[in-house]
Amino acid sequence: MKILVANRGEIAVRVIRACREMGIPTVAVYSECDRQARHVREADQAFAIGPGEAAKSYLRIDAIVEVARRSGATAVHPGYGFLAENARFAAACRDAGLTFIGPSPEAISAMGSKTAARKIALEAGVPVVPGTETPFDAEASDEEMRAAADRVGYPLVVKAVAGGGGKGMRVVDAPAALIPAIHTARSEAGSAFGDSAVYLERQIVKPRHIEIQLLGDAHGTVIPFVERECSIQRRHQKVVEESPSLAVTPDLRRRMAASAAAVARAVGYTNAGTIEFLLDDDGSFYFLEMNTRLQVEHPVTEMVTSIDLVHWQIRIARGEPLDIDPERALTPHGHAIECRIYAEDPDLGFMPSPGLIRGIRPAAGPGVRDDGGVSEGYTVPVFYDSMIAKLVARAADRPEAIARMARALAEYEVLGIRTTIPFFLWLMRQPDYIEGRYDTTYLDRLLASRAGESFNELTEADEELAAMATGLDAFMRARAVAGGDGPVRLQGMWKHAARREALSP
Amino acid sequence: MTFEIDVNGRTRTVAVERTAGGRYRVVVDGRAHEVDAERVGLYGLSLLVDGASGVSRHVSVAPGGAPGEVLVGLEGRTVAAMVNGRRRGRVSADAIGAHGEVTIPAPMPGRVLRVLVAPGDDVAARQALLVVEAMKMENEIRSPKAGRVKDVSVTPGMSVEAGRALVVIE
Repeated sequence: MKILVANRGEIAVRVIRACREMGIPTVAVYSECDRQARHVREADQAFAIGPGEAAKSYLRIDAIVEVARRSGATAVHPGYGFLAENARFAAACRDAGLTFIGPSPEAISAMGSKTAARKIALEAGVPVVPGTETPFDAEASDEEMRAAADRVGYPLVVKAVAGGGGKGMRVVDAPAALIPAIHTARSEAGSAFGDSAVYLERQIVKPRHIEIQLLGDAHGTVIPFVERECSIQRRHQKVVEESPSLAVTPDLRRRMAASAAAVARAVGYTNAGTIEFLLDDDGSFYFLEMNTRLQVEHPVTEMVTSIDLVHWQIRIARGEPLDIDPERALTPHGHAIECRIYAEDPDLGFMPSPGLIRGIRPAAGPGVRDDGGVSEGYTVPVFYDSMIAKLVARAADRPEAIARMARALAEYEVLGIRTTIPFFLWLMRQPDYIEGRYDTTYLDRLLASRAGESFNELTEADEELAAMATGLDAFMRARAVAGGDGPVRLQGMWKHAARREALSP
Repeated sequence: MTFEIDVNGRTRTVAVERTAGGRYRVVVDGRAHEVDAERVGLYGLSLLVDGASGVSRHVSVAPGGAPGEVLVGLEGRTVAAMVNGRRRGRVSADAIGAHGEVTIPAPMPGRVLRVLVAPGDDVAARQALLVVEAMKMENEIRSPKAGRVKDVSVTPGMSVEAGRALVVIE
């Protein structure tokens, strides 16, 4: 087996790590702006597939299949995003004689349309959130959409049929806002997924987002895992995930796991997948959608079960039977929290902050896992999602895991660009977060209640220290340039680089 | 050497000199500190502040994205600083409520999707001015203050570099 990883960033690195552990050679693909990327350096082989724009590189099925052929790869791991949930890609791999490390194209198609997925869940006896059963096409009239919205009831959510990651999604509280919201959602869905079809769904008030990871093998075995709690979201994008959830009792866990497995079995699901549910505060849960791929947040499940999901993806693709003890998969050991570290400036409304990473020192130590995708000297490109790493902390219980995460965040250094680390440090101190009193609306409400204060909470002494350090840095660099007897003991290239830097405006 | 250092929108006067024993005397706005400073790597500084107290702080000082800006890392927090000059190309939260003319720059490279205001329009603080797509997300650029739109220098479809002027509010 030789695996082509049809992705970039941290997930490509994650998959390559698993391959290394299993003794499987790897092939990376990269766009022009990713020549220096970490996944290229960590793979055994690497091939260029086009310019920075994803549509001309990471989304090009023909180019990727051609690289597989040229490199002698026998299997393809799609990661998440890009082509991971593209049935045509899975089919193209199959047609080219490549093993697609994921579900069948048929299962991807069945679950890829959110309206079709809802029907499957209903037929499997799993409740769904009330909504429109067929999507609106581009010709749907405003009257038609208003009438459908009235039947679903307000507040409602406009969602992209091909959607994911909160893109193409809008909450509508009242009829007046419906049509503009549909237009925005369509435009976003069109540019993100190439499909602007949207549908409507009733909004469950103050729900938790709980999801069940599962694995299915080619022999009909489906194993559901302990839940992940993903209610900490900003504009429908998950930013913190945990396992287990404080809101899920062992009995509820078993019922949600059984429902998830029923949906997966209904489509003959193989490989890794996730069933997302909304959990109402009365304990009832509704099927939301199925993600037919490895999820960004899979590490929290790995941390509390010690089961390597990527290893299993590969083993399942090789035809091996799942021999995981179902009880082990459902029983969390300790508590794990993941923070998605983005190249974004939290103090500027989480604006992307791409740029040159001058240095990076990930957190380490007991119970800490860094799934990083970048390295020093790499320029975070503007073309893709700006996540640069996922930081995971595991401890015996949730309070210890929060303390460990706070410790790890303070330790994590990313130099030269702004990241969301200060935001997470702030979040880990919020009383409602610490007490577990939150739902999917919590973070947006909390952020809206702020009056523009910085997430970088600095005391007067901190600011003085920053000024002192900046002054010392400027002093030392000036001395180094002057060639004086300064304390900067820089040699060779470092000295040259420091001088160039000090001289640049 | 004396520097004017802008940290978090406030300018401080920082004088640095070497002392006997390879240490530094750093005076920040008149407050003097005895500092044992060692470089660790290209951007790291290990500081033992005020000699006898033994207080150890690890700080990083690295160039940021904007011209002349450095980013100072303090145990997970980041603060922008500028030596002998003002920060540019950045609308910070503290600009909200500011008076006078404000030029709103593109905070990141991207593509202008929609322009929501025209010259002469009155805008409220935090009102959305335009929508810029970057990294596949639509980002609303909001007004840092209430005022009137003086100039709009972009049109939908335009690609913009970080720091490029988008709208002027007066």
